[in-house]
Amino acid sequence: MVKFYIDGKEVVANRGETILQVARREGIYIPTMCYLSKVKPIESCRLCVVEVEGVEGFVLSCQTPATPDARITTDSKELYEHRQNIMKLYDVNHPLECGVCDKSGECDLQNKNLEFRVDSQEFSARDQYRPIQDWNYLQYDPSLCILCEKCVHVCNEVIGDDAIEIEYGGYKSRIIPKDAETLDCTWCGECVAVCPVGAFISKDFKYSANAWELDRIPAACAHCSASCHLYYETKHSSIENPEPKIYRVKNEFEFETLCGAGRFGFDFENREAKKDEEAFKRAIEAFKRADTIKFTSFITNEEALLLQKMKERFGYRLVNDEARAYQRFLENFSQYSGKSLYTPSLYDIEDSDFIILMGSFISSDNPAVRYAMTVSQKRHRSEIVNFHPVEDDLLKPVVTKFVKHEVGSEEAALSMLVDILCDEDAKKRAGKEWLESFDIGYLSAESNIGEEEIEDILKRLKMKKRRGAKRFTLILGEDLYTHPRAENLAKLAGLVDRFSEFDVMLIPPKTNTLGVALICDLDEEEGEFSIGYNQKGDFTLSALGDGDLDMPALNQQEGTFTNIDRRVVPTNVALPYEGYVLNDIAKELGVSDKEYTIEYTKELPKEKGYKEIEFDELDNEFLNDGTEKRGYELEIKKVNLSRKNIEPIEELPEFNGTVIYRCEPVLQFSPFTNKAHQLRTKGKLYASETFLNDLGLKEGDKVNIQKDNITISIEVERDGFIASGAYLGRFDKNIDTESLFKDYRFTEVKIQKV
Amino acid sequence: MGSKVYFSTWKDEFIDNRGKPREEWAESNYNFPVQYNADIESKAFIGWAGLALFDEDVDVIKLATEYAYQYQVYSEACGRCAPGRWGGRILYDLFDKIARGEGEWGDVEHLKEVSSTMIETSKCEIGKTVPKPLLDVLNYFEDEIRELIEQKRPSKYYNDENINYISKVTAPCMDACPSHVDIPAYIEGVRDLRFDYSVQATRKTMPLAHTCGRVCPHPCEDECRRANLDEPISIMELKRVGADFETDHGLFWLHPKEPKPLNGKKVAIVGAGPAGLTGAYYLAMEGVASDVYDELPVLGGEVAVGVPEFRMPVDKYNVDIGAVGSLEGVNFITGKRVTADDMREFEKNYDAILIATGTRISKKIRAKNEREEIRGYWPAINFLDCINLYVKYGIPAPKEILEKNNLPTDKPYVDLTGKTVVCVGGGFTSLDVVRCAVRANADKVVMLYRRDEATIIKNTTYEEYHEAVEEGVEFIFYSAVEEIITDENDNLKALKINRFELVPDPDGGRPQLKKIEGADFVMECDILVPAVSQSADLSHLPPEWEIELTSWGTIKTDGKTYMSSRKGVFAAGDCEYGPMTIVNAVGQAKRAASVMSRYVQSGEITLTDEEIMEDHLRSLKVYDKKEKIRGWMPGLPRQKGEILSVEERKHSYLEVNLGLTQEQAVAEAERCMRCYYIAMVAV
Repeated sequence: MVKFYIDGKEVVANRGETILQVARREGIYIPTMCYLSKVKPIESCRLCVVEVEGVEGFVLSCQTPATPDARITTDSKELYEHRQNIMKLYDVNHPLECGVCDKSGECDLQNKNLEFRVDSQEFSARDQYRPIQDWNYLQYDPSLCILCEKCVHVCNEVIGDDAIEIEYGGYKSRIIPKDAETLDCTWCGECVAVCPVGAFISKDFKYSANAWELDRIPAACAHCSASCHLYYETKHSSIENPEPKIYRVKNEFEFETLCGAGRFGFDFENREAKKDEEAFKRAIEAFKRADTIKFTSFITNEEALLLQKMKERFGYRLVNDEARAYQRFLENFSQYSGKSLYTPSLYDIEDSDFIILMGSFISSDNPAVRYAMTVSQKRHRSEIVNFHPVEDDLLKPVVTKFVKHEVGSEEAALSMLVDILCDEDAKKRAGKEWLESFDIGYLSAESNIGEEEIEDILKRLKMKKRRGAKRFTLILGEDLYTHPRAENLAKLAGLVDRFSEFDVMLIPPKTNTLGVALICDLDEEEGEFSIGYNQKGDFTLSALGDGDLDMPALNQQEGTFTNIDRRVVPTNVALPYEGYVLNDIAKELGVSDKEYTIEYTKELPKEKGYKEIEFDELDNEFLNDGTEKRGYELEIKKVNLSRKNIEPIEELPEFNGTVIYRCEPVLQFSPFTNKAHQLRTKGKLYASETFLNDLGLKEGDKVNIQKDNITISIEVERDGFIASGAYLGRFDKNIDTESLFKDYRFTEVKIQKV
Repeated sequence: MGSKVYFSTWKDEFIDNRGKPREEWAESNYNFPVQYNADIESKAFIGWAGLALFDEDVDVIKLATEYAYQYQVYSEACGRCAPGRWGGRILYDLFDKIARGEGEWGDVEHLKEVSSTMIETSKCEIGKTVPKPLLDVLNYFEDEIRELIEQKRPSKYYNDENINYISKVTAPCMDACPSHVDIPAYIEGVRDLRFDYSVQATRKTMPLAHTCGRVCPHPCEDECRRANLDEPISIMELKRVGADFETDHGLFWLHPKEPKPLNGKKVAIVGAGPAGLTGAYYLAMEGVASDVYDELPVLGGEVAVGVPEFRMPVDKYNVDIGAVGSLEGVNFITGKRVTADDMREFEKNYDAILIATGTRISKKIRAKNEREEIRGYWPAINFLDCINLYVKYGIPAPKEILEKNNLPTDKPYVDLTGKTVVCVGGGFTSLDVVRCAVRANADKVVMLYRRDEATIIKNTTYEEYHEAVEEGVEFIFYSAVEEIITDENDNLKALKINRFELVPDPDGGRPQLKKIEGADFVMECDILVPAVSQSADLSHLPPEWEIELTSWGTIKTDGKTYMSSRKGVFAAGDCEYGPMTIVNAVGQAKRAASVMSRYVQSGEITLTDEEIMEDHLRSLKVYDKKEKIRGWMPGLPRQKGEILSVEERKHSYLEVNLGLTQEQAVAEAERCMRCYYIAMVAV
């Protein structure tokens, strides 16, 4: 803690905090053009220089930590003049195209010119030919670029794509794809978000609206369990059509990061829906007849509660395989960790010194987790060990050790971790049978995880601890929840959580998996007649607009999600919806007595950690220092520990022949992302170079994928980011991949070229 | 030092000889590059601290224009901050406008305004200092400027294409580094969390990034400008941060650029130590293949077998060696001692030869009864070979050597249990000897040094000396061995040791060491390791080549091109300079490789302008200890990495220095003031 003074006000800096950080936290204004809270100070604009008593010259406030009793002055005539001069320099040759520039009205250059009263371009230089670059979803105009470097820093330090860099050359400097002819990245679009001017823009948004015409609706992203905070920005569709539509998505980029699906996949609304009374009647009939409701986790907590209430009233079976697998995993985990929920959040991952990741293809499963790992690597040089059968080249600059294991060997891998991470008590708890089954030679040989690799992990762990490491996180993903040995894996994970310094995170696979798993009492088996909600049923309710009765999509609903941070976050209505909602059915069935779905927010189950807070009372903002004030965090309850031993390790399964994986390509999560006009694409079999070579295939080939009596005809696409293997996604609803992957994310298939 | 100048505003100096005949010109205090090279005289020098004219007929307006131009166009280092990027552009545009005869008075005012903002707010010193000589021109040559503006005509030599303007970017630390590593760039890589850039910046002139991020004596830190404000930057430690990123993520290897395709030329390199490896690396970068020969069974030379594992883990060194070996055209041949006959063959079969054999003969301590055959007399180089080859590579110590030194031969390694080891020395090698002796479990380890503690620290590093003390090495200063006492079987028994004191010279000269009469004592010991210095083994030089040697028995070169007296035969590293540092060997070999890459093509010995300027700036000296620093908050402490505790390290070969944590490294990198400067000569 350092006490010092800014403009006469006594302030206190935490360890390592810079003058600018303290000033912002205290609400003291210092102008900047290049400062971006979530990355290291960039130091290119020099506007944030301040005076320090007793120090000759000006000091850069963004990068200078405060020293005790320093007296800082943030503004003076001289500072004003230099800042004004810097703005004049920024204006050299800056095109005067504000009238048509996308950024106009929310442009830092405009704002600062106004602030420093620069009303003419005093200097000019000979102009140069600088063509506009067209990079897929993005456009980069070097003449508009002020080279603040925010885009480059965020791409490297937060995203981890490290796809762009500065081509140095004084006033000729520009942003270029790093080591590549054209940009090839994960298209998160953060470069657009952080660009203070109109240099990096979304091609889709270009020339479509002025910033000041758009309405901003604060919401939570509906695509994955990170449920990132975002704003849908809407305006009428056209002069002829007063209906609002979403023009773009923006985010609180100073503190939060959005992936490309969140940013570009916004128009998944169920637009045509009307109140079809006939269909509604049929729906009520169907509900009366049904014994099962099948649904996905792309619903709000409140909807989940309605489903649960229906179940309680009518005894429906609630079937959601993905959430049920997660629920079981969480329950088994809890009985061995002693906690109702996992503890780490994305912030904890960012702060981790040692991370082990297992069972997730993280760059498409959950980009937010990947970004948090990138931050931890960059900030703390954390060790990041990734256990997976498929190596993801995207993670190469982040992961410090990749352990490739045989498909299906997760039980061996996790057991080996229990062995090295946990103390003796854990092994006692696991029990004699488990310990006897722990034959490291066998496990190592069958899983292909070398004993020396495990020793190396231990060595790295010891060194990290030797260097004062404080936070250790084991991140587990969906491969484990659907694993035939999921129950034992969950228990082993519980042991790690309880008996080692590692905290275990269980990534919820879908947007509201955690919410559904906590709120709904889920069943294993379907009955005779099912209502499908965003799933094919005997009667189908669909927000995709392809069912028997329309439902609102998640950008047309208000309510809450329970996200990966165990946080209950609010989302709001971005677009009108004129059809029926689940609450209408519930009302009709006599289950609901409330007018609006969000009246259920305060009724979410307290025994699961929810709080009795009205929807309208939920916070939804970030403070100046980056503190997230969104909704609330679930309370973690103590859980009675199971007295049962862990089951002995089973013989490891063998996967022979052609094995494929189930995961989505980057930018896709579900049919909802695939409905968005910018992301819409046909599902393919995405294959690594080696996979193509082994099967004698090339990009563009058509193949038949066969398993049992299922055949899928599909085109092959090369994925340059994976080192081996191939995968299928579920985002294309025209391709039924579900039946291929019943139990586990890997499956043996036959592939034949057509 | 000092030459007559026509006009100078360099640093605190102001010399104005305008209107005076040449013989009355005052002398400057500074060592300007008046003579550019053997054939060319310079006309003017302009740089971060002013300008100096060596001739009355210099077009200063054009000089200033060119300086602004060089800054803007050639400076790779810049373009990172708003004031520097655009300010520099405007400086050039407006100066050029005046110089070509289109200027107005308003331009002069704009120049002053932009200069002032650049000086106060630029990111690095290059932006802060470029305006200085330009303002000097505006102030002291106002009449000339007025004339151009009023008469609307171009400056005198505006269109003269015979005048060349040669520039060079430097920094005090870069100038002090014998390899001229682009230190601010690799520090910036750490600061920006772009560690790949960091190691790539290092490897531009220093392929051994892992190695010199660990064992460099960092002369750069003695010439770090930050020391003028508080404490110097921990420059060496930051080099390691970028290098470790390469290994952490298996990104082998991060080269500074794509090597040129092989051009069919090939050289022989004798010695695979730092100099030989560096030579091979930069020759390969230029498309020249090489065969690198070494008599040792392993690659790396003295750094591999001399520097102990606890200071320089061989895994890390091997990454650097791997980087060299990864380049096309580099071929290593180990276990091959090159003879004079081989050399004669090499001359026929290769396009050039680089000798980089180091200094691998331990010098004697010049005591009575000093003989190689004494049992227990064990020269430092061989002592370290025996220990390190086992520790690092598992190669057993030769039985006959163990036996000769009365050590157990049933173990494959050197076991000094129960032994008293005395080392005579005071440099890096001797510290390595005593610290290895501690780890080989010696009973007692003593270092005898002729001078005092301050000198040993100066010769090595503060850290290493103190680590040795902590590990239990006993240092006896102002001491020397007078006689070696042996028994009837020629076993080492004891040493007769003299003590000295420092006596001030009454005439004000250097104090002299004087023996203290009656202070002699006898110390029993089992092993005596002479580590006073090493000399070069040049027995492989064919005598008929008559290669010229220096008075201390190393190969003589001009210290700029590193060619020996025999055409096509080059020498770099310790065999040229005498026992010195890794970074010195790398710097020499880098230069030699550059000269050789041109020589094999053209048969000519040439230096690039960059290299000529590098040498000029070194003799002018970039660092100014007295300069006052502006625009930086003082009092931010230098970050210190953690080292293993004495208990952890005393009996292990684990790397002692754990390096900086990421947080420390970034905090340290943020202290760097990026003291880039640009200098330019008009010829």
